[in-house]
Amino acid sequence: MKTLRSLAISLAVLVFIIAWVFPILWSVLNSFKTEQDILAYPPKFFFEPTLAAYREVLFGSQSILPNVWSSFVISIGTTVLTMILAIPAAYALARLRVPGKRGAGFYILATQMLPPVGIIIPYFLVLRNIGWMDTYQGIIIIYLSFSLPFAIWLMVSYFEDIPFEMEEAAAVDGAGRLTTLWRIIIPQVKGGIAVTVVFVFLNAWNEFLFAVVLSGNTVRPVTIAMFNFVSVEQTLWAQLAAVSVIAMLPVVVLGVIAQQHIVKGLTVGAVKGGGRR
Amino acid sequence: MPVAGPNIAGEPDALPGLTGHDRISARREKRFATALLAPAFLALIATTTFPLLFLIWISTQRMDLAMPFMDGFAGVDNYRQLLADPRFWRSLVLSLVYTVSTVVLQVVIGLALALLLMKMKRGQTLFRIIAILPVVLSPAIVGMVWRSFMLTPEFGVIDYLAISAGLGSQNWLGDPTMAMISVIVIHTWQWTPFAFMVLLASLAALPDEIYEAARIDRAGAWQRFIRITLPLLRPAIVMVIIMRTMVALTAFAAIYVVTAGGPGTATEILNLYAYRKSFTELSLGYGSALAVALLIVTLLISAVLFLMRRERAA
Repeated sequence: MKTLRSLAISLAVLVFIIAWVFPILWSVLNSFKTEQDILAYPPKFFFEPTLAAYREVLFGSQSILPNVWSSFVISIGTTVLTMILAIPAAYALARLRVPGKRGAGFYILATQMLPPVGIIIPYFLVLRNIGWMDTYQGIIIIYLSFSLPFAIWLMVSYFEDIPFEMEEAAAVDGAGRLTTLWRIIIPQVKGGIAVTVVFVFLNAWNEFLFAVVLSGNTVRPVTIAMFNFVSVEQTLWAQLAAVSVIAMLPVVVLGVIAQQHIVKGLTVGAVKGGGRR
Repeated sequence: MPVAGPNIAGEPDALPGLTGHDRISARREKRFATALLAPAFLALIATTTFPLLFLIWISTQRMDLAMPFMDGFAGVDNYRQLLADPRFWRSLVLSLVYTVSTVVLQVVIGLALALLLMKMKRGQTLFRIIAILPVVLSPAIVGMVWRSFMLTPEFGVIDYLAISAGLGSQNWLGDPTMAMISVIVIHTWQWTPFAFMVLLASLAALPDEIYEAARIDRAGAWQRFIRITLPLLRPAIVMVIIMRTMVALTAFAAIYVVTAGGPGTATEILNLYAYRKSFTELSLGYGSALAVALLIVTLLISAVLFLMRRERAA
């Protein structure tokens, strides 16, 4: 009985590893192959690794460096703007007496119900009219629609963990409200801010639908640019693999760093998910 | 694991002993709070509520980027057309098939893995990291990896396995049924680790004493699972179901990259149909009506799920 059980566990473990690691590992392996090795049949697991594909996608004629730059500008811009707006709002919702607080909380939640495919149509018309298609400000402002509610919810949960005495002590000292918030409260939620930043960045980096509609030749994140390597006539397999790996790298690094908080980040405002997939 | 969301709807703890001086400070507090909230709320109104109202207005218009001379007020024409549109009903059915199958698979596989791995004493961190990988990736990248390196006929690894198993090379994304199965598998692959992580955390938070008591009662493993574990996990499971249903209904990137809704309309869930109508066929008016229909479906389904949740909580 006992051996049967441990056998079942080992089997599950094995399936788990193969099923979930393999597609990622396989992309990584492919990115180090020559076009010849990658097309080999049966698939090659052992081969002489080369950086040729990376050299080509980074410094070749179709360099994706401008696209990586685009992705970073969009993600960092979204993160900064989101945090500037979300931190004060979350503090007010978590700690202050606000008229209509219940309604405000519900409103933030309800905004997440809107299907992105619905709101992209008006965005598209408005941005086209004001000439903001294919601009960073256009994409970044629109990303607020999903990053802001998420960040407010996550930050509220961190603000709620601070003891009230902190503010009271500061008030007794005669410190103004803004000073208290900046000097006393914000340092208390540094960890929470870091986690929120990671998730907002991640969601902005991964967003696709808005980017597909709004991007052009100037603003073109990696997730869109990878299509350059796939065409009906010919797919540059090794280069495609290299681009995929480059696009995966930042989010995997952030995900692993934030792994302790990932469940919280994914389930915050549990009534509706944070991520926009 | 604390799965409930932050309690922002709750009132703040009452501060004892309000005096006249406090009342002035309370008014100041309100003003301060409003100043802190206003920028975020203005941004939210501008990026969510305004587009929603605009969307509803567009859905009452005839708006065709390909034929702008025909544009004008259409009243409920778009909605009347929608109700008589077989492609709409088909996409709605596909949405439901896609949502139900991916959510059920995620919960069942995620729960099974969580139950098995919970028993492991060492190496849980390794699995947590492995589980994080698919979840943090862009669905567009996941779609690209599967489409090219896993499913391409006579090149992808899955196809290689099928050939090796004597099934022959399959047209994984070119055959209508197979394409639907493929996009369901890809979504399940990416998001099962999420269900796994949440359920594993919930399992770890269950008190051991209950199991001890059950063991003394000589309940079998299956009995323990059905009568103890499952009811205790119910809130977490319901939460996973709600979250994943909402995401599956608006799944876009992976399907777009892998099949773009095709072949034909074989994987065109309602979300994809609204996109294609608006941005491929350039009928923004009708596309908006489809998006509103998707919103209504989302609201109906979430209402049902919330009722379920409340009933079970009671």
